[in-house]
Order: sequence, then C-alpha cells, then structure tokens
Amino acid sequence: MAFVMQFSFAQEKTVSGTVTSLSDGLPLPGVSIIVKGTTRGVQTDFDGNYSISVRSGETLAFSFVSMKSTEVVVGASNTINVAMEDDIAALDEVVIVGYGTATKQSFVGSAKTVNSENLEVKSFSNVSQALAGEVAGVNVINTSGQPGTAATIRIRGFGSVNGNRDPLYVVDGVPFNGTENINSINPADIKSTTVLKDATATAIYGARGANGVILITTKTGTSGQSAINVDVKTGFNVSLLPRNEVIRNPEQYVGLAWEAKYNKGVALGQSNPEAYANAELFGNSGIAPFYNMWNVANGGELIDPVTRTVRPGVTRRYDPENWEDYGFQTSYRQEANLSFSGGDDKTKYFSSFGYLDEEGYLINSDYKRYSARLNLSHKPKEWLEASANLGYALSETNNNGQSSDSGSIFWFVDNLPSIYPLYLRDANGQRIPDEIFGGSVYDYGSDGRGFGALTNAIADAHYDRSRAKRNELNGNFSFDIKFTKNLSFETRFGFQYYNDKYFSLNNPFYGSAAGQGGSIYRRDTEYFAKNFLQLLRYKNNWGGHSLEVLAAHEANDWTQKRNTASMQGAVQPYVDDLNNFIIVSSPPTSWTRKAVLESYFGQINYDFDQKYFLSGSVRRDGSSRFLPGNKWGTFGSVGASWVLSNENFLQSSSIVSFLKLKASYGLVGEQAGVGLYPGINSYNVGNLNDGFALSNRDYGNPELTWETSTMFQTGLEFTFGKTGFLEGSLDYYRKLTKDLLFDRRNNPSSGIAVTTVNDGELLNSGIEFDLTAHIIRKNDFTLSATLNGEILDNEIKTMPIEPSTGLPKYIDTAPNSFAYSNGHSIFDFYMREWAGVDPADGRAMWYRYFDDANGNGQFDAGEGFDTADNGTGSIVEYLDKNPNANVQRETTKTYADATTKYVGKSAIPKVRGAFRLASTYKNFDLSAQFLYSIGGYAYDSSYANLMQNAQAGANNWHVDMLDRWQQPGDITNVPRLSDNYASDNRYSSLSTRFLTKSDYLALNNIKLGYTLKSNAISAAGIDNVNIWVSGDNMFLFSKRDGFNPSTSESGASNQYRYSPLSTFTMGVRVKF
Amino acid sequence: MKNNIKLSIFAATLFLVLGCSEDYLETSPTEFISAEDLQDAAVNNPALVAGILSGIYTTMVETGTGGTNLDHDDFGQKGYDIYSDFLSSDMVLAASNYGWYRALTEYVPTQDFTSTTNYKPWRYYYRIIRSSNEVIATLGGNDAVPELAENRWVLGQAKTLRAHAYFYLTQYFANSYDPSAEILPLYIEPVQEALPRSTTKEIFDYMIKDLTDAISLLSDFDRSNKSQINEFVAKGVLSYVYGVTGQVSEMKTLTDDIITNGGFPLMDANDVLGGFNDINTPGWMWGQDITTDLGLDLVSWWGQVDLYTYSYAWAGDPKTIDKGLFDAIPANDVRKGQFHNVAGGNYLMPLNKFYDPAKKIGGQRVITTDYVYMRVAEMYLLNAEAAARGGDEPGARTRLGELLSKRGVDPAYLSGLSGTALLDEIYLQTRIELWGEGKSYLALKRFKKSTTRGTNHLSNVGVTIPYDDERLTFEIPESEIQNNPFINNQN
Repeated sequence: MAFVMQFSFAQEKTVSGTVTSLSDGLPLPGVSIIVKGTTRGVQTDFDGNYSISVRSGETLAFSFVSMKSTEVVVGASNTINVAMEDDIAALDEVVIVGYGTATKQSFVGSAKTVNSENLEVKSFSNVSQALAGEVAGVNVINTSGQPGTAATIRIRGFGSVNGNRDPLYVVDGVPFNGTENINSINPADIKSTTVLKDATATAIYGARGANGVILITTKTGTSGQSAINVDVKTGFNVSLLPRNEVIRNPEQYVGLAWEAKYNKGVALGQSNPEAYANAELFGNSGIAPFYNMWNVANGGELIDPVTRTVRPGVTRRYDPENWEDYGFQTSYRQEANLSFSGGDDKTKYFSSFGYLDEEGYLINSDYKRYSARLNLSHKPKEWLEASANLGYALSETNNNGQSSDSGSIFWFVDNLPSIYPLYLRDANGQRIPDEIFGGSVYDYGSDGRGFGALTNAIADAHYDRSRAKRNELNGNFSFDIKFTKNLSFETRFGFQYYNDKYFSLNNPFYGSAAGQGGSIYRRDTEYFAKNFLQLLRYKNNWGGHSLEVLAAHEANDWTQKRNTASMQGAVQPYVDDLNNFIIVSSPPTSWTRKAVLESYFGQINYDFDQKYFLSGSVRRDGSSRFLPGNKWGTFGSVGASWVLSNENFLQSSSIVSFLKLKASYGLVGEQAGVGLYPGINSYNVGNLNDGFALSNRDYGNPELTWETSTMFQTGLEFTFGKTGFLEGSLDYYRKLTKDLLFDRRNNPSSGIAVTTVNDGELLNSGIEFDLTAHIIRKNDFTLSATLNGEILDNEIKTMPIEPSTGLPKYIDTAPNSFAYSNGHSIFDFYMREWAGVDPADGRAMWYRYFDDANGNGQFDAGEGFDTADNGTGSIVEYLDKNPNANVQRETTKTYADATTKYVGKSAIPKVRGAFRLASTYKNFDLSAQFLYSIGGYAYDSSYANLMQNAQAGANNWHVDMLDRWQQPGDITNVPRLSDNYASDNRYSSLSTRFLTKSDYLALNNIKLGYTLKSNAISAAGIDNVNIWVSGDNMFLFSKRDGFNPSTSESGASNQYRYSPLSTFTMGVRVKF
Repeated sequence: MKNNIKLSIFAATLFLVLGCSEDYLETSPTEFISAEDLQDAAVNNPALVAGILSGIYTTMVETGTGGTNLDHDDFGQKGYDIYSDFLSSDMVLAASNYGWYRALTEYVPTQDFTSTTNYKPWRYYYRIIRSSNEVIATLGGNDAVPELAENRWVLGQAKTLRAHAYFYLTQYFANSYDPSAEILPLYIEPVQEALPRSTTKEIFDYMIKDLTDAISLLSDFDRSNKSQINEFVAKGVLSYVYGVTGQVSEMKTLTDDIITNGGFPLMDANDVLGGFNDINTPGWMWGQDITTDLGLDLVSWWGQVDLYTYSYAWAGDPKTIDKGLFDAIPANDVRKGQFHNVAGGNYLMPLNKFYDPAKKIGGQRVITTDYVYMRVAEMYLLNAEAAARGGDEPGARTRLGELLSKRGVDPAYLSGLSGTALLDEIYLQTRIELWGEGKSYLALKRFKKSTTRGTNHLSNVGVTIPYDDERLTFEIPESEIQNNPFINNQN
C-alpha cells in the first residue's frame, strides 16, 4: 500500500476533474475511480466528469477497459484531470492460465483469451457453442440444434485414434468433469474464457491436458463499484440453413417411381415392360394401393407411358401434407439475466440470476434453465483470503422427435416420399377425427406405407414425452494464506453435483407402446465430483529477476449412480410416475461408476528483465483406470520466450511495438477415452432360469497405461505500428502421440475382436494464425478485421504391432469410410471409387484395380486386391509387399468387385478458421463473424440416402434424381432408376460418388448495437443502456444445399441430424 | 510474521486432510462384475461357477454378440437361423421396408467379404467357442474328467456348445464337405494369437471327440431345465455332425437312441399349430426360456418373424414360406394350416406356427415367447435320412411315417417310394416340418440339393442355385483376413 507521508491536516475535501483519452482528448465516460484502500468509489459521467470526497495523501486509482490504469496521489489541488493512455497491446492484460495468472507479455505458452463480448452476442445456452471461430486451431462442432446441446470441441487436430479427443474444461480453477455439463454455467456469468493449446500451457494439467484446456472464469465484484446489470434478450429460432432439396410434388415422385418399375421390367426381360410397370406400381412390391392418392384405379390409368408422367386430368383424392410444415415450428427464445456486484477492499461479491427459455424449430424440442450464482471473496485477516463460488442451475429439456431411428422427424421430412399423408384418410380422402386426443388421426403407415411403416415421428413427438430435468450445483471454496510476502499457501475444494431425472413416456393409444397400453422408461442419474487442491507458491523479485515456484497436490474423483426402471400399462396417459403403471416390462437396474485421479505437480516461472522468460512444469498423475503397476505417469514441459521488443534495438522502433518469440516442448497425457475398467476381464450379470448367468463382457488389457504425447511448438506474437495497427500471432506445433490408445483389431476367430493397447504413433502438426488489423481508429468511427485459421496435418507414423507376426499391422479398416495405416491420416478416405454411369445402359460403374501380372491389360482371376485371392486382403498390404506391381484399373458394374482403396482425399481441410469485421460509428456498433473451411472432403450420406435406387414408395429422392439416365446415349452421373433391381442395388453404397467437397462459408454471427448516452437516463440513475439485434447461423454456403460439414468431426452428414438453429435476437442491457 | 506458527498449524491440518489412502486409486465396477471380484464371490457361492456356463447360454440369445452396435439382425443363434433360412430360400422376404436381410436375399454379402453380414456369424460363433474354451480350461482342460459331478456336467455342456458352434461354422463358411480343405482356425484353448486354418477333417474329428466326451460326461446329468444341454442334446448335435461326414450308421444309432430313450414325445397336430412359443412343449429337446429378465425387444427372432410381436414382420418386412414349398404341402396336412392362406395382406406368413399367444397384431413388446433350438422331430427325420442313406429303406419309411401320421397325413404313400424318391421325400418333409427353424439350409447341404426360388420372392425368382455355390456360403470376413496373417484367401 502506497502511503505517502507528508505534513498536512487530515482534512476531507472534494476533488473533481475530467478524465480524457490521451490519444484523442475526448472525455471518457464510465471510468471507475476508487480511493485506494477504501470502499469509496465513483464513476465518470457521460462528459468524463467526476467528483469525490478524499483526504490529501490518499491515492485515486483510475481504471477503464482498454486503458492503462493510472494512480494519482491527492495533493493540494482540488482538481485532478487525468488523460488515460490507450492500452494498445494490452500487454499487462492478465491472462488466467493453469493454477495461476500471467500477463500476455510474460506467458511463455499459447493461450488465447476470448473477448467475452464476442461470446455474449451469440445466443447459446453454453459457452462451448459460442467459441466457434474465436480461436485459431479450435474447431467447434455444433452437432445438434437441440437447445441446450454442448458442442464438440477439437483443439489442434485429433490427439488420439480411439481415445478421448475432448479438451478439459476448468471452471474457476477446478477441473470440470463432463463436457455436456458445461450447460450448468450460464454464459452471462463468465468473465473470461481462455483456451490453452501448447504443452507449456497444458502440461500442468498432466493427464488431462493433451487435448487442450478451456479455462472459464466467472465474474467477481469490483471494489468500490456497486453495479446492477439487467440484460433481456428475446428472439426466435428458425430453420434457416438450407435442407436437402427433395422432390415435393407427388406427381413428379410417382412418375419417377413408374419409370423405375419400367426399367426394372426391361432389366428383368419382361416382354411388355410398360404393362409390368403399370401392374407393379401399386401393389405388394410397389406403393401400397391404400396410398394411391389419385382418383384412378391403377398405374396404367395414372401414368402416360410416353411422357412417363401423370396423365393430364388425373385428380387427387386428397392433398398429402408437407410434413415439414407440421414437424417444424417457429420457436421463441427468451433470456433474462440480472446481476449485482460490488465490494470494498475486504469483500467482493457478485450475484446473478438467469432465466432462459429456448425452443428449437423442431416441435417439442426445448430447453429451459433457471440459474443462479454467488461469488464471494473476503479477507478476514491481512494474511488470509477466503472465497466461495457457487453456481446452481435447474434445467428441463424436451427432446422429442430426434432419435436416430424411425422416431426421427428429420428422417421423415427429408426421406418420406411426398405421396404419403401425415393424417390418415378414409376411402373418400377425408381425415378421420381423433376421439382420444382431438384433431385428426395421424397415419402410422399401417396400411403398407413403404416408408417408416407403423411409425409417425410427428405424432410421437406430440403424443409421447422425452424429458430430462436436472438440478445442478457446482462451486468451490478456497483459502489463500500468505505466510510471508513471498510465500503463500492455497487450498481449494471444488465440487460438481447433479441429479438428472429422465423419462420417456409412450402413450397407450397410438404408436410403439399401444400394444403395451403405454410404457415408461425412467432413468435417474446422480453425479458427484470433487476436487481437492493444496498448493504452495513462492514469488520473488530482485534486480531484474522475477521468480515464481509452485508445488501442489490435487485429488479428483467422481461417482455416478444410475437407476433405471421400465414399466407398461398406464392408468393415466401422462403421469410419469411408476405407480401409474402396472407391469414391470424389464428388470430395474442400478449401478455405480467411479473414477479417481491423484496428482502431484510443480512449476517454475522465471524471467529476467522482462525480456527472457522461462517456464517449466512437471506433473505426476495416478489413475484408477489402470491396474497397479501402470497407474502412474509423469508429464511435464519446458518453455521459453524472448520479448524482442523490450530489447534496446527494437525499443524505439516505430514499426514493431511488440514482438515475442516463443518455443516449448512437453509431454502430456490422456486417459479419459479408455473407459473406466479397461484392464480387467469382466462378465455381465444375468438371470437365466433364476440362476446366475455370467456371460463374457470385456477382455481387458492389464498392461494398459497412459497415452502420452510429446508436443513441440514455436511461435511469435506481435504488434506492429505505434498505434497497434496490426496485432497477431503465429504458431507452429508438432504433437506426436505415442503409446496411442488404439483399439487394435484382432482376428475375430480368437474370440476377442478388439484389444485396446498402447501402441502406434500419431502425429498432428500444424500452423495457426490469428491477425487483427485496426483499419480505422477515429473518434467516432472504427473498423477492424480479424482473421484466424489453422492448417493441419495428421498422420499415423506407426501402426500397432500384430502379435502373431510381431510386425506393425498393415491396415485397420474398422472406421467406416476411413482406414488406419502408416503414412495416412486417420481421416483419409478409404472406399470404392465411383467410375460414373455407362451411357449405353445407364448402370453404375466403379473401378476395379488389379496387378496386371500377365500384362494383357485386363483383369484376370487372381489379379485383384479386395477379393482376397491375391493373398493379402488389402491393396495397401499388397503394394507394400509387391512394390513393382503393374497396377491397372478397369470399370466394373459389380460393386463387390470394385477395389476398396485410399482415394487420395481427406476429411481434413487445407485451412479452416474464421474472420470477423467489427465497426463502430458514433453510438452504433456492428460486427459480423464468418467461418470458413477450404480444401477438405466429407461423405454426404444423407444425400446418398436420397439418391438410392429405392423400391417404389420406399424413399424420397433428391431433385438431382431428375438428371438420371433415361435412354442410351445419356451422359449423366446419375444411374438409371430400376426399383432396386438386384444388380443395381449398390448404387448408393459407400463410394466416392458421395464424397463431397466440404468447403463452406458461414455467417456465424452478426450484431448491430446502439448505446444510449444521454443525461436524461443518467438523471434516472441509469449508467448505460445498450440495445442490439443479432443473428446466429444466418447462412451457410456449401457444395450442396442441406450439406453442412460443420456439424460433425469428419464433416459427414447424417439423415437424423438436427441441423443447427438460426437465431434472431433482440436485446437490451441496462446498467445501473 | 508472528502468525507463522498459527499458520503452519493451519496449513499442516489441511495437508493432513489431503493424504489419500493407499487404495484411493482402486475402483471396481458394479454395472457388471470383474473376473477378480467374481473369483472372490465364488469362494462363498459356488453357484457362480456354473453361472459362467449359463452365461454362454445367455450369449446365445443376447443382442450385439455378432459385434455390432446394434444391427437389428444381430441377436445370436436364432439370428443366424434366419440367415440360413433365407439362404435356403425356404423363407421369403415378401416385402422390404426397413431393409434388414434384403441384401442377403439378393446374395450380395455372400459375394462381398467386406460386408458385416459375413462378420456377424463368424464373430458370434467364435465368441461362443472362446467362452466354452474358458470354461473347459477352468475345469482342467480338454482331457480332464472332473471328480465332482457338477463340474463334469458343466464340462460336458461346454464341449457340446463348442462343437455346436464349430458345426455351424463349417456349414456357413465352407462350400461343401471336403475333408482335406483347410477351412477354419481351430481354437481349443482360450489363447489370443492368430491361428491358421485346420482341415475340415481335423475340425470334424474334434467335434466328434468333443461330443463323444460330452455324451459320456453328461450320462448321469439330470438337467433342471431345457435351456441346458443334456446327453440327448449332445447326441442330437452329433447326429447332425455324422450326417455331414456321411457316417450314417452312427447317425442312425444315435437318433434311435434319442427317440427311444430321450423321453421326448413328438408334437401332435395341436402342438404344431400351438405357437412354437413354449419351451415346455414336450417335443422340444433344447431351447431357451425367454423371460423379461433377458430384456429382449424388437431386436430378437420374434421381433423379426412374428406378426403378433412389435416386429419387422408387422412393420412391412414379412417373412413367409416359399410359394413352391407351400404348394408342396398336401391340403390335408395340418402343417399347411401353419401358414396364412388367404391372398392379400399377410399371405403365407407363419401366423399359426410362430405367434405370441395373445395373438394381438404387433402386441408383444418385451419378448417372453421362447426360442427352440432342437426338437425330437428333427431326430425322426435325421433317423429316416440315415436309414435311407444307409440302405434301410423300410426303416426310413417307418420313421417318416411315424412323423407324418402325427401331421394328419396317411403315410401309406411312402411304400411307393424308394431310392432317390424316398430321399427326396425325406428332404421335402424336413423342409416342411422344420420351416423357419434354421434347419433347412443344413438339410440342403446334407442332401446336396439345389434351391429354386418360388414366385413370391422379391428377387432371383426361378433361379436355381446348387448347395455348394458361392452365393450360398458366407465369406470369411474382411476383419479375419486383415487381422489374421495366416489367412489370405477365401474357402
């Protein structure tokens, strides 16, 4: 505490003045001014003026966002004007890092703190989804539009083949278990979010740091600054991103179906294919006659064989509904956050209450959350600081209609042939009143609907329930004890608790449980995680040296308990308690899962002269997942950086205002993906004839231990121009994961198909860049642009050993559409190659590769690769053993004969990232964030599904089917329709036909805001009013409408996917 | 500071709290049981050892045992019974809505070793073999004869299960019975390294050894329920094995023994229309009592075949009898009544052979109707077959007649049959009697017949395929070829 002693009377007086910005001389409103060591504080008004009662000798501290804090000792004068300096590079900005803090300048590793304003404008229930595009090298995959879904996050590639690839979340210094639990943290309570990427930054998290770390710090109060924030948002969610373009016209659909039947007749050698098609269109192997929606008796009366379309004058018995109109809804989003904060020099508090009610565009999908937080810190003694952070969330999720089966509304909306009505029709084409639920009776397809028979996902979503209610509590208590000026002890107890009650209830009248008189499945889950940290920290400065050393112990364990029960025979349709049901339909279950981690770790940070920085850490982790002898692993890192801009030769440079070079190397571990009990053999416990039945479950590998990665990185951080015109960073990293947790395939005849082993090596390397240019910086007009991205390479360096030969395995084709082998990325496509359509007969062709041993230019028996008749089973192994093979290819119309091979394309894009444009003009601000990805490929399986050569009435088609082959000579890439004719039925099987460029450009977020500044509101006691409108997920340009490669790790589409919501929001924020 | 002492005490206290005990990092599952915990529990509860054998029986009905997560045709022994019924073409996929089995009925997977349809039965049967090997090893190995009667019985059952699994593998993965051909790895110990293929003869010899051992081990076993294998079930399996090797006199002796001494009366005319859903039916020799505890649902044999279950058969993928085979059933044969003989919906579905007793369409949700693995009627048919093949045609006619007279058919016409015609009749009666029970494919191979598809199939109507055609035999799956350095080509 800086006390300046001087002789004077301790007399109180009022000091006033104006605070301005040094760079432009304009007054600064909202600057906080505190009398140091007291609770007294004020803020400047809109004209930058303030006045405050002080005594001479006291110190006034001025602080303001993006300005360098200033202190002035009160002297004789009653006027103190302050001109605050821009904090351009924000070099003193405190960065929260593992088990401590650093400044941006001093931190040796790669840590990126995301501007909380950038996150707050995005309308998501949790921080994970909002991180999209914010950090180079961080890929955020929004896998579902269901409100309340946590995104999948990948930092710096794919750290493991079969292990865990999720990063670690740390909330207020406590490792946070379970990515999906991040919903319990209201984004409005988050002060800062920092992403740690390299080994120096993450190695202190040892066993859990290999996939990167996301540090979340919740808000705290500020001494002397009482504030009330009211934040209200209202908006709506829509399905704005394009869906697959499918045939919506029943006549067009049935015309194609007839043509397919006709072609099948030809293929079968029918003497009169036209008569065949007429007869087959409606019937057992076509469209069920019940679903003939036209006023004609049969296919012949319906279709004109010349035009192959519906005859003119044919009328409909009824108009089938467009299911999308009934499956999707306009949905609302309401959010309100209220917070109070403040404090004095001993106590600081922050409390908040949040409410979120968000509906998805899918009917009966919504998420509601009440959240509250209390963060309190207190210094009862000079040597002791205690704090408590407590967060609570009550949430309720409805997620109907999105299962990955016939319960999926998305599947119905895209894939249902448009001839099928939503509501059941009688012989006259009239809807039938529903006497149970009112409205009309839904059509469950029990009259032979060739698609999704006996189900109706929309009816199910209305009549059934799938609901989870969750009470969630997390927080931590900590004590910091200062032994001396230099030595302190910190202890922190963190915990996470939730109780999740899920039930799915099927109504007794319609749908899958009608036969059971209704059914219920209940699943109660209770979770408790605790984390106990003890840490000793020594800090000292002398001369130009600065040293920090810490040593710590941490214990973390979690327990999850689950009970389930299933009953049937409901008394009342919607009572969700078990006593409402009479029959136990399957035995109740319950179990407990537990995982424990214990760690010892330490770190040393040293710098000299603010130029040379060194950091080293070591951590020893023990895990309950491994068997004794393999439980413990040691990890660590060293790193160094050099701030060149603090050297004499650059200090006066007008071009470089900040330049730092850094490098680090470390060893990090990973274990979460291995399962809880991977080392042991186990049995399922069953009941057979009321006796024990213990069937083999898992064969463990007792040797299993940690997956370890060595990670090297080097990079630079810079600011160019005196005014910081361009700032940014550039990183190169190389991460080699050894002892990979690899699900090694065994020969299944051994009875153990898969053994998880520590074997093989995987390399991830890449370059990350992050640039911000302040293009215009005028008083009332600013414009800046940010561009970030990652260039990523992934390669298997060594495959696991095959125990029978003692040599590395050649290939593992277990992942669908990919394969694992040396020299290839885990996302290199491995499949059959599409060779187009034969113009002569319209049939599909693929490539068969062969070793043309006899040089006759054509395939002969024994020359192939896949058919296993050449002694290998894969082209990869064969070519390795026969490097001089004369590889040729030819086309084949038999899918099974085509060669499965690497096709030279990868799911990993060449470059991927985001850019943002932000501008302010007077009181307006405007920003737009775009996401981009260039140079990758992805498998569009939902498109493949819509291009299948389905039986009449079995599946809808994409409009691209209109390009199908129709007569000899047609040049097209879409083969003939032939009603699933046997030798044509692999058209849409896995091949490069559906491998699609995954380039995209998306407008992820756009926001327009206005800040109200007037004396009128000031007089009303309001400091600040901010009004804004924003939009999330406004558009996505990709290779094909409906193809959104940003929703899965490999970019692959999925016919069941809940495509992300597009959200329009209007918000008002008032600060008192 | 003066407070240092106070502070140190405070800190020391906190450090004491942290001291994690020795076993802090030890956890144990409760969702299932670890082998170690089981060993500890078994000390005081010997019933748990027999429980490991019972576990093999539950594996036979569990879902996902073919290594998928979760294909709806992956539900153990009865799942592959459906595969073989489709391959023989006696079972017809009359319509395809959800697509299960469609590719198989078009012989796609049997010509594409990358298809998981090949993988599932391979994985399943070798899984049973591994579990059996573990039980056998625990009880002292392949040549042990445990002193304790209970252990002898467990060993006998495990050996029968192992032979049973190998028997199906030989039928599904080898085109024909060729003693010198190397066809399958022969695992008789629970080892993990890859093994090369053994010859057909070696495998059949081992099956015969296992079953002969089992018959002896089980000779004094009085089983508590029909889920367990007893001496007669082992003899039944051995009869099938001899049927393939052509040892017809052994086959005849065994089946005579079962018929005479097994205590299994033939199902009568009522029984064969009675639903084939109850393990207590006297004519069943071996099956599985399905209870709610087993948790079977849509993914089950009933969920594929029975209209009266919440099933694919109901949802647009009906399984019916081949029209040609149906037409071959005489009008007065009660078995004709097993099939719905009214044109239109559900035509030729086995509505009176396999049904949930409640007979409510789509009604049964949690499966409680039972699985049949072996019936005494099979023994009559095998016996007649063995007799005919061994030259004892009168004996063959008598045995077949005993069965037919229980089916409302006057067996007098059999007297006019001899030679090939008699064998053909036995083959036909085998297909009719055992329709949908997973036996007709075995008969097709034993009788070395061809299959010709009737008019009600979705594909390949009228196409004739011989029993040893590639299309009727599964491929060794890609995973085996890639991960077993000793197997580099198909059988």
